[in-house]
Amino acid sequence: MRCFNCGAELTINPFCTNCGADIREYRRIMWASNQYYNDGLTKAKVRDLSGAVLSLRACLKLNRTNIEARNLLGLVYFEMGEAVAAFSEWVVSKSMKSDKNIADDFMETIQANPSRLATINQSIKKYNQALAYAKQGSLDLAVIQLKKVLQMNPNLVVAYELLGLLYLESEEFKRARRILSQAMRIDRNNTRILYYLKEAEDGIAARFQQDSPRGRKQEGRASADSITYTSGNETIIQPVNTIEKGGSSAAVNIIIGLVIGCALMFFLVLPARIRSASSEMDDQLKEVSDELTVKNADLEEQDKKIEALQSENDELKGSLGDLAGSSGMSERYDHLAEAALNYIKNPEDVTGTEALLKLIPVENSPEETVSLEILPSTSSGLDPTIYSQAFRDLYSYLDNDVSSRAARTYIDSGREKLENDEYQAAIADLLKATEIAPLNDEAWFYLAESYKESGDSIHATQAYSKIVNEMADSPYAGKAKENLSNGAATENDDQGDDNGRAADDNDDNDNTEGALSEEDIAAQQLAAMQVLQAAAGAGTTETGAE
Amino acid sequence: MIDFEEELKKFHPSPEVEDAENQIRALDVTDMVDLIVHLEERNNIR
Repeated sequence: MRCFNCGAELTINPFCTNCGADIREYRRIMWASNQYYNDGLTKAKVRDLSGAVLSLRACLKLNRTNIEARNLLGLVYFEMGEAVAAFSEWVVSKSMKSDKNIADDFMETIQANPSRLATINQSIKKYNQALAYAKQGSLDLAVIQLKKVLQMNPNLVVAYELLGLLYLESEEFKRARRILSQAMRIDRNNTRILYYLKEAEDGIAARFQQDSPRGRKQEGRASADSITYTSGNETIIQPVNTIEKGGSSAAVNIIIGLVIGCALMFFLVLPARIRSASSEMDDQLKEVSDELTVKNADLEEQDKKIEALQSENDELKGSLGDLAGSSGMSERYDHLAEAALNYIKNPEDVTGTEALLKLIPVENSPEETVSLEILPSTSSGLDPTIYSQAFRDLYSYLDNDVSSRAARTYIDSGREKLENDEYQAAIADLLKATEIAPLNDEAWFYLAESYKESGDSIHATQAYSKIVNEMADSPYAGKAKENLSNGAATENDDQGDDNGRAADDNDDNDNTEGALSEEDIAAQQLAAMQVLQAAAGAGTTETGAE
Repeated sequence: MIDFEEELKKFHPSPEVEDAENQIRALDVTDMVDLIVHLEERNNIR
């Protein structure tokens, strides 16, 4: 401790050894200041902030240079939400002791968070505005503003106090009690808060008595039916020998409540739930319907693809069938190859080669006609849309060469057999010749002769007629016409004896085998007449032909 | 019952940050030691 007059270090003497000043009062003041500081510190530790403020202020009034007390006062102010007051104390403390002062740390900590400081300042401004509203009589605005203040700065004790006062003024005692109780958690021994809280409790108790029916009814005889005593700040009224009425009314009330609840559920909640569920179901149904439409479209598209592939498959199978099988193209190529092979190996076996060629079906080309003569021709009569050019060339070569030779062979064979009176064999050979060469007049003539010699006048007449009608320029036409004029049947009769046949059998119209009926003879005569009439137009060629 | 008007008069605007300088200047830091010094000086003068 130093002398207040000269600053010299003091001793145990009651005066300053340096200047001689009396320091007895000074010592008492320092002692009292320290006592207040200790008291303030104790109160601050138990969160009696308002009490700590009073003690620390008293301390500083005795000794302004008590730095610890000033710093603690600033800290208590800050805890009560009054940042500016706290800063003021710390600045003064700093001015009195610039070195090793904890106030530096306090200020640096707060200044390190500017947004927090700004929020505190904003809350103080709103508090001031709320106070102005309250003084102007706008209590509702003040209450609203104070609620905002407490959201921003929950430690501002004066805001709790003012809000509690406003609630008390508006007789909202429960709210006042709640807000003041919150303030009590910050400042536990604030006299003003305690005062307001007591007012709130009194208000609540008074209202309870007013609202309680029993209290109103029995107000007059409360002293007789109840025991009243005070516990702390509360007045407790305890009934004497009062038994609560039975639980039947409570059960009825519970049932009524349940019924009302069920009714509310049925009329309010369930329809909304049902509508919501129905809406969700509709949405889901719509989504499913859309998906189904898309799937159906895909399915139709797939069906069309399958149909297209099926038709393509059928076409390919048809093409494969044309190429393969007994009537397919491969079979035809085989026949042609076999015919060619036979033609090379056995050039004389023209009939075999011809037989193989006949196995190949001939689809006539629309622009080509069948050759009328057994002459070499480049036209094969094959449809170029079916057969290739090489196929048609080979077929044409073989057919032209082999056909003419085969026809010649059959004709020669037939004539030889005719001369040997082997009429049926001759007919067979000559028929083959006419098949190979349908307009070969020689084949037709000897075929007619063979028929005539065999006694088949009808076919003989038909063969002669063919020569006369279709091959009028043939050297056999005259002979054919002559035979027709003589009548194949007559000729048949004339030669019937030569052939060992009984001409009388025909005359007698017997039904023996080989005899002609009357209808056959009439048809023969009619055909002969037609041929002669047709031949009459031929004119002079008849003589030349002979 | 509390007197609302009288209670309201006990509330004072809280100093804002902008007013901190004025607040510090207005702060009364006179203490009992100053009073003793003053009295001592006056006695010495007499």
